[in-house]
Amino acid sequence: MNLSGGPDDLVRKVLQPEQCAGCGLCLDLCPYLQVVEEKVVMIHPCGLKEGDCYRVCPRTPTDWEDMDRSVFGAARADHVLGHHREILFARATAPEIAAAGQYGGVVSALIAFALGRGEVRGAVLTAGAPGEMPRPALAENPEEALACAGSKYSAAPSLRALHEAARRGLEPVAVVGRPCQVLAVRKLETRPGLEAHHLAGRRVALVIGLFCFWALDPAFYAFLRGKAGDARILKVDFSPDRLLVHTDGGLLEAPVDEVRAFVRPACRECFDPTSEFADLAVGSTEYDEAWNTLVVRSARGEALVRAAREAGVIEVKPYPPERLPVLRTAVLNKKLRTLEAQAARGESSHLQLSEGYRRALTGRDQP
Amino acid sequence: MSILGVRLDEPGRSVLLTGNEAVARGALEAGIGYASSYPGSPSAEVLGVLAELAGERGFYAEWSVNEKVALEGAAAASFAGLRAICVMKADGLNVALDTLTALSESGTKAGLVVVVSDDPGGHSSVKEEDSRYLGKVAHLVILEPADPQEARDMTVAAFGLSEQLRAPVMLRCVTRVCHAGGNVVLGALPPGPAGRPHFGRQERYITFVAFHGLQEQRLAQAKAMGENWPFNAYLGPPEPEILVITAGPGFLYAREAVEVLGLGDRVGILKLGMSWPLPEKFLLRHLKSASKVLFVEEVEPFHEENVGYLVACHLEEVLPLALYGKKSRHVAGPQGPGLGEIDVDAVVRALAALAGVPHETRSSDYGREARELVKKMPERELGFCAGCPHRASFWALKTAIALDGREAVVLGDIGCYTLGLTRSGYFLMQTVHAMGSGVGIADGLGKLGRFGFDQPVIALVGDSTFYHAAVPALINARYNPSRFLLVVMDNRTTAMTGHQPHPGLGVTALGEKVPALSVEEVAGALGIPVTVHDPYDVRGTVEVAYRLLRQDGVRILVLRRECALVAARREGKPRVYVDPERCVGDACGCHRFCSRVFGCPASIWDAARGRAKVDEAVCNGCGVCATLCPQGAIVVEGVG
Amino acid sequence: MAYNLIITGVGGQGTVLASQVVAAAAVESGLLVAVGETFGASQRGGSVMSHVRVSRDRRYGPLIPRGRATIVVGFEPLETLRVLLNYGNPSTRVIMNLRPNYPPGVLTGADVYPEPQTLEEAVRSISAGVFAFNATEIALRAGNPVAANMVMTGALAGSELLPITVPTYEKVIEELFTGPVRQLNLEAFRAGVRAVREGPPAEAARAPA
Repeated sequence: MNLSGGPDDLVRKVLQPEQCAGCGLCLDLCPYLQVVEEKVVMIHPCGLKEGDCYRVCPRTPTDWEDMDRSVFGAARADHVLGHHREILFARATAPEIAAAGQYGGVVSALIAFALGRGEVRGAVLTAGAPGEMPRPALAENPEEALACAGSKYSAAPSLRALHEAARRGLEPVAVVGRPCQVLAVRKLETRPGLEAHHLAGRRVALVIGLFCFWALDPAFYAFLRGKAGDARILKVDFSPDRLLVHTDGGLLEAPVDEVRAFVRPACRECFDPTSEFADLAVGSTEYDEAWNTLVVRSARGEALVRAAREAGVIEVKPYPPERLPVLRTAVLNKKLRTLEAQAARGESSHLQLSEGYRRALTGRDQP
Repeated sequence: MSILGVRLDEPGRSVLLTGNEAVARGALEAGIGYASSYPGSPSAEVLGVLAELAGERGFYAEWSVNEKVALEGAAAASFAGLRAICVMKADGLNVALDTLTALSESGTKAGLVVVVSDDPGGHSSVKEEDSRYLGKVAHLVILEPADPQEARDMTVAAFGLSEQLRAPVMLRCVTRVCHAGGNVVLGALPPGPAGRPHFGRQERYITFVAFHGLQEQRLAQAKAMGENWPFNAYLGPPEPEILVITAGPGFLYAREAVEVLGLGDRVGILKLGMSWPLPEKFLLRHLKSASKVLFVEEVEPFHEENVGYLVACHLEEVLPLALYGKKSRHVAGPQGPGLGEIDVDAVVRALAALAGVPHETRSSDYGREARELVKKMPERELGFCAGCPHRASFWALKTAIALDGREAVVLGDIGCYTLGLTRSGYFLMQTVHAMGSGVGIADGLGKLGRFGFDQPVIALVGDSTFYHAAVPALINARYNPSRFLLVVMDNRTTAMTGHQPHPGLGVTALGEKVPALSVEEVAGALGIPVTVHDPYDVRGTVEVAYRLLRQDGVRILVLRRECALVAARREGKPRVYVDPERCVGDACGCHRFCSRVFGCPASIWDAARGRAKVDEAVCNGCGVCATLCPQGAIVVEGVG
Repeated sequence: MAYNLIITGVGGQGTVLASQVVAAAAVESGLLVAVGETFGASQRGGSVMSHVRVSRDRRYGPLIPRGRATIVVGFEPLETLRVLLNYGNPSTRVIMNLRPNYPPGVLTGADVYPEPQTLEEAVRSISAGVFAFNATEIALRAGNPVAANMVMTGALAGSELLPITVPTYEKVIEELFTGPVRQLNLEAFRAGVRAVREGPPAEAARAPA
């Protein structure tokens, strides 16, 4: 599989056609890639033919099944949901963590737990007040992690905090990110060529991926401000068909169609809404606001969940079997839409899928 | 060459002075009361020297905001009975011309000498204008000194001439006089300062078309004087075969060329010290005796055209006669006739061709061995000095413009920041015209939104240029509403011409402390919002510039940080070096950002070690590279 | 008889100051002098030259004709060769600083700076005698690399290629400068005189590695 390419290719294949997911890993590799309002720009051509930026970008060609083998050591059995050992409902037990979280507070609880017991020394997170532009954060203790609780709806380049951790020699770290960010971290771990770079050899001990079907352009925040006026925004949420803005002046609603125009173009060609390469994936249940969906994917993830349960930090219950087809359909439809969009754009896909995999998706949807 | 020679009170003593110092000396000996100037190469040093001596000699000297205002101040002194000198470069004459042409018509009282310095070859100018044409348009007497001695002598004579004619006299110097050094025999300094000024109630200095006739009378008067003027001289045989007509340092080149070629018995040299009006009788006398005339002057064929006209009006007297010079392509520098400066070699070539003699001074083979050893010799591009805040500003602006992504247009003008059009400024600047033109052009572009023009507009101007020329454009931008970002690159000095002060600094040419003006104050009065930032904080500057680019209307960003050369001289420099352990060389992935892209001349590449390096012989200690190194490998230590 | 001296280097290296010292010393010795400079924009990293023409009997113009340089004092190796190719002849004597100053084109990779040994060889091949040393190194040891211009002036003085004595130069330096700069310049100047008379110290005998 040919992964060689450089900054010019990155500009041509990812930045110019608006396929950049805003993961943030290419930033801080060099002085030439910079970000403003979640838009990544190459401010000056570096002149190199090959580069780490191309290697780690989640939107440059990726062999999906090769990544399965690299991360999990085997091919996947489930073509839609990827590697998983268990799918559960879970929530934080501590009331202040549950309250701070978007839904069940599971991510905050697990990260605070891992930091608290020294399993990781830093966590790459995303901070930001509700309704405002989020920003990368590097938490070094449970309090700092808790301050990052709550969903963010635009594509913060939070992996910049991974660079910061590496420069400060803070390791091992945990990373919480969108599926694109998870993929970028896995490409960083599995791709050759980063010998002397500050990131080379640094340990990412834990990757928690979020469910994400789209991120919004930062223009969304001006839209929110317009809706909320002077009221303070306490929480932003989305139900399947409504935008919900909780303010100190009451709840504001709008049909989700009003927000569609803000969807980041790159998200229309995302193949992975459930962070298939993370150790754990966490999302909404779209069923019960007090709980999260928790997908346990790797041995590492399984060990953390077991320890957290034993410590009483989280509680779990079985995923309702009748909800599983709903989840599968949503994910499969996302993948199929992506394959169609890429075919329509006429660009060769950044996804390198075997014929068997492609058939499995388009022909069957059961493992 | 130094001020010691200029102030020496020993008439008859020979000292080494530059042409500029000699002009200053001449002004001292003439007993000036008033001196004004706007810094312009190659004559900036004249007022610098005068200002240093003003206190002890009892006269007034100032750096004015621009040449027009400078000339008006000098004119005032003249009206009030004080001898006055006003100094500018050719481009500055363009600024002062409205006033100068008017003064020529209104007349003046005490001697008013206007020193205009041209820059053939544009060593420090964007044009090589020949200001003699404008002197002619202004109906002024134009004097051209050939060397520092004549620069002193003619300056003294010019004051007397100006008083006889009751009009300004133009002293036209070129770089090879201004910046040349030579022995100058000093004259006597006046015993005391100038007398008490007075502008009588009955005096009038009115510019009125009816006085055009007076201008012509003055020129006729000067022409008569020129027939017997010692600076108009002839050197050579009574009946030369070739007559060289020359002025300025061309005289020295011609004299040396005649020696080199051994043509002393065949070539005569007629030197014009008064280039306008022409001493016609003197000229005709010598034109009759020669059969070939070679004009040696720079930059344009001013004498060639005027004397050519004279010849045409006296054909029967002077024929047979053939005229050679630029039109015949005989006198030419490497770029061609009428382009660039001339030198001894140009005159040697021309004379040798006319006289039919060979002229090689050394074997044409000379240098072959060296060229075989060193096949390619890199050129030296001009660029910002090490530590220059403009480099940081241009990198920050380039970044902000790229992030903005709407193809911003960048307009500029004259100053050190003009180098922003070169590699040193990342080729950012797209227009360069006259002082303050960038603001005026931005003002125009900023009104084209009504036609769908949606590119952001950025004008760059320096602090000195801001006061010189930017204000009218800003007023216009408010009155005829426009939309652009003006970036004032405030390095706290007038750098390119030698670090002269300006209104923003709170100190005058005489060293007096005065209330400093500021861009914020001027802009505030015009209702234009101002943001100030330190360009050495590149990341912060990027953010501010990006934010301002997205705004409407006219807004100003002042990037304020002292010129690195001034700071280094005053404070001593922090030591900046690359930690060879932290620099990872080509493995960084930055592709040698510091030396290859950011481009500070002190950032070099140590090929032997494969690491970046700071050249301590060049570095001025600003530390900006340290903030930009992706590995944080550059260390800035304390002063000393 | 004219001595046609060209002092050359890169803008900012102090060639103008050096030429002022030499010219003032010439005048102090009762000689006639003409000096032609490049000021202004060239100071921003461009190639610069000062022409200093010294004569017992005759005033010359400020510019030396091609091929007529008697002495070239080069503060920078590339510029020394450049000037020699334009103004030199087989009898020209050369004093040269071996420390390179890299033009922007070289630093960006567009051009290649010639090997210092090759530059020195080239200069030797077309002149009558070359004294080459690392004046910047000597200036660094004296306290400031900027004083390399006075080291070079000292080398010129000590070489006695011009009819001006070393004490005359020193008198000029003492008059021209004040404060700590005066002491630095005097020391650098004297180190240059020593270098040319006794040979440069070992660390300053070669181009920098």
